[in-house]
Amino acid sequence: MSERTRTRTQVADVDRSLYDFTYSEEGYERYDDGLTPDIVRAISEKKDEPAWMLEMRLKALDTYHAKEMAPNWGPSIAGLDMDHISTYVSPRTKQAKDWDDVPDDIKNTFERLGIPEAERESLAGVGAQYDSEIVYHNMRDEVAKEGVVYTTIEDALHDPEWEPVVRKYFGTLIPPADHKFAALHYAVWSGGSFVYVPAGVTVEYPLQSYFRLNAEGAGQFEHTLIIVEEGADLHFIEGCSAPKYYEANLHAGAVELFVKDKARLRYSTIENWSKNMYNLNTKRARVGADAQMEWVSGSFGSHVSYLYPTTILQGDRSNCEFSGITFAGATQDLDTGCKVILNGAETTASVDTKSISKDGGCNTFRSSIVVGRHAANARASVSCQSLMLDDISRSDTIPAMDVRNATASVGHEATIGRISDDTILYLMSRGCSESEARTMVVGGFANPVSKELPLEYAVEMNNLIKLEMEGAIG
Amino acid sequence: MMPEHTIALERVNTPPAQTWNYLRANDISLMVPSRSRKGDVYFALPRLFGGVECGMGPQVTTWIESQSTDAQYVEVPAGQIRTEPIVASMDTGVMVRAGATATIVVCQDTKDAISQESAPLTSASLVRIIAERNAHVRVFEFVTATDVNQHVESVGIVAGKDAHIEVRQFFLGTQTSAAGLVCALDGNRSRLDLTCRYLARDTDTLDINHVVRQRGRLTRSEVHESGVLDGKAKKSLRATIDLIHGSSGSEGTELETVLMLSDDVTNKTMPVILCDEDDVAGNHGASIGTVAPEQIQYLRDRGLTHEEAEQLYVRALFDEALICAPNSAARDAVLRRATEVLGATVANDLIEGLGLSSLEEG
Repeated sequence: MSERTRTRTQVADVDRSLYDFTYSEEGYERYDDGLTPDIVRAISEKKDEPAWMLEMRLKALDTYHAKEMAPNWGPSIAGLDMDHISTYVSPRTKQAKDWDDVPDDIKNTFERLGIPEAERESLAGVGAQYDSEIVYHNMRDEVAKEGVVYTTIEDALHDPEWEPVVRKYFGTLIPPADHKFAALHYAVWSGGSFVYVPAGVTVEYPLQSYFRLNAEGAGQFEHTLIIVEEGADLHFIEGCSAPKYYEANLHAGAVELFVKDKARLRYSTIENWSKNMYNLNTKRARVGADAQMEWVSGSFGSHVSYLYPTTILQGDRSNCEFSGITFAGATQDLDTGCKVILNGAETTASVDTKSISKDGGCNTFRSSIVVGRHAANARASVSCQSLMLDDISRSDTIPAMDVRNATASVGHEATIGRISDDTILYLMSRGCSESEARTMVVGGFANPVSKELPLEYAVEMNNLIKLEMEGAIG
Repeated sequence: MMPEHTIALERVNTPPAQTWNYLRANDISLMVPSRSRKGDVYFALPRLFGGVECGMGPQVTTWIESQSTDAQYVEVPAGQIRTEPIVASMDTGVMVRAGATATIVVCQDTKDAISQESAPLTSASLVRIIAERNAHVRVFEFVTATDVNQHVESVGIVAGKDAHIEVRQFFLGTQTSAAGLVCALDGNRSRLDLTCRYLARDTDTLDINHVVRQRGRLTRSEVHESGVLDGKAKKSLRATIDLIHGSSGSEGTELETVLMLSDDVTNKTMPVILCDEDDVAGNHGASIGTVAPEQIQYLRDRGLTHEEAEQLYVRALFDEALICAPNSAARDAVLRRATEVLGATVANDLIEGLGLSSLEEG
């Protein structure tokens, strides 16, 4: 067989100016770097929380200090030094219900990210978090009239009607002892969303929370708690971005989703953190009988990611669909995937993920499918496809399956490879440039995920891929 | 405190990349007996074999070397086609020189099992193979015995340019079996074809770790595992295809099919692809479940009971093992196990079908 030679194109820098802009932190309230009981108490006091929450925070802080990271786990987070991370930074502004009441620099930030426009055109409600606090929160009146609650966790804690609900659910699906960064989250959480959809209510338009971390050397620890009651239906979108700094930033949020019997929840995420971000986020859903959980996940940013949304299919005949795409470029080491636990009878799960690695970026896809003893006739399939765009990048797939019921059926398939020269040649012979041909192939590769998003977000995702690809072809 | 003459092999048989520890799928820990060899002279393998990575890891290599009476070194000269199978002992090194062909049989030998009151009766095999360019090596592994409690088998293979390695593994017995294999496809165009068949029943534990390191250019690996789990058996399979930087033009495929016959079995599967090179193709797949109802119905329509239909799959495992057995020791071992699992009548059917003589007839 003859030895082959291949030519490679130049790799240019990627233009991320859409996200890479900052405003001064002057006048902001910023707590000291590091983690101490005093800082935790100060956050709690600032929020005027009930005593049980402070107790939970302090216990979680102890757990954080006591827990070790597993030595055999994923990309290194040695660059993350909690002694140089401020866990609370807040603009001195009150939460607004009108964009005109939001300070100009913050408003401009969200304008540039297209949030108010998206709200006007296609959303039932928006929450916008800037550093550690929600600065804007609003929901359409007609949705509120149906009994839907969309507010911050802090506001829900101050509402006598909702405080018991928060207390009942908060920290139950992701316990503080779950892992080291879950413990950290519960110690210093701030901001996030509380959503309650009453039984039988279908929210026609999505709700969206957008998280922007502006401050350098800071962490964002928002908590999202969503309860979709029996027979209800909701689409929730989460977006996030940050400007690039040369100092590490940390995102350690938590998302707890309770999908009751016959309900449906779609949770979409477009994550575009800057490439100095450690994104150590935890997401988990518990799904009742005949209910449906859908995840759509696009991960483009971050320096290091540990992100594995978990679905517990507890109720019989419940269903989970996970569609995800991860794009790792230069300096990125993204460890992403999902976990599904099938406990109910006749539960079904379908996982379809894509990953693209280029410019020395590293992608690791991890999954676990666990079929419990009582999950009679459960069905699960996992498909993972990875595309390598050059020979300095890396792509690993590490799936695991644990099946304990003989009537269950579990299938898994994965492929890793590059865009074939034949495909590029075919497209070029029909008039495309090499750059267009490659972008077209990558776009087609990502299409099964982007088509699951609402149009404007699909456009954003496609733009992100195009943006990244521009750098790859040179 | 550790009982005297016992060693704990902690977290051995690990794959190069690991999953969540709470799944308990990354490794196995074993208590093994340790017989004192104080004052003995041990004839070790040539130092070259120390660089061969073995499937169960260095802890197991050290333990087996410490328990074996002597290492067995076999060299097949360049260009020679050796028809007589090489029967591996507890610690074996085989050098297959350029262009040579060799067959190696690793048949669980319970005569040499290590016995100490404080630990399970344990048999063990450590086999290291270096296949030079153009060599063709066939490796047959049979684990069938039930007169020991535990079996540990660690294999390491290094393949040179254009070398072809074929491995057939049959794990059909022993209460606790742990087996690891690493094949390093170092030479350009070297190739591995690995098939692994297993049966775990009653309270058996089977732990398998397959690793293919594809370093050379244009290398190929085909790894196919399949088996049957019954009773309260527990099985873990870790299969890793490691496409190392520089392995341009290489391809690796791994497939597993698991048949679960009981709700009390535990099946863990971890098929991993590590890819550090773009001009490669890595594929894996797994299918885990029971016999499709329509297939069972088809067989029932032809007069078989549900159980008989399922036993056909078990019988097929033994059928294949018998066909593959390259020497009488391996064949007798498979037949003994077939008799225990399927009964004497079916075992005799198997050998008659293959035109072989029964155990009694010798």
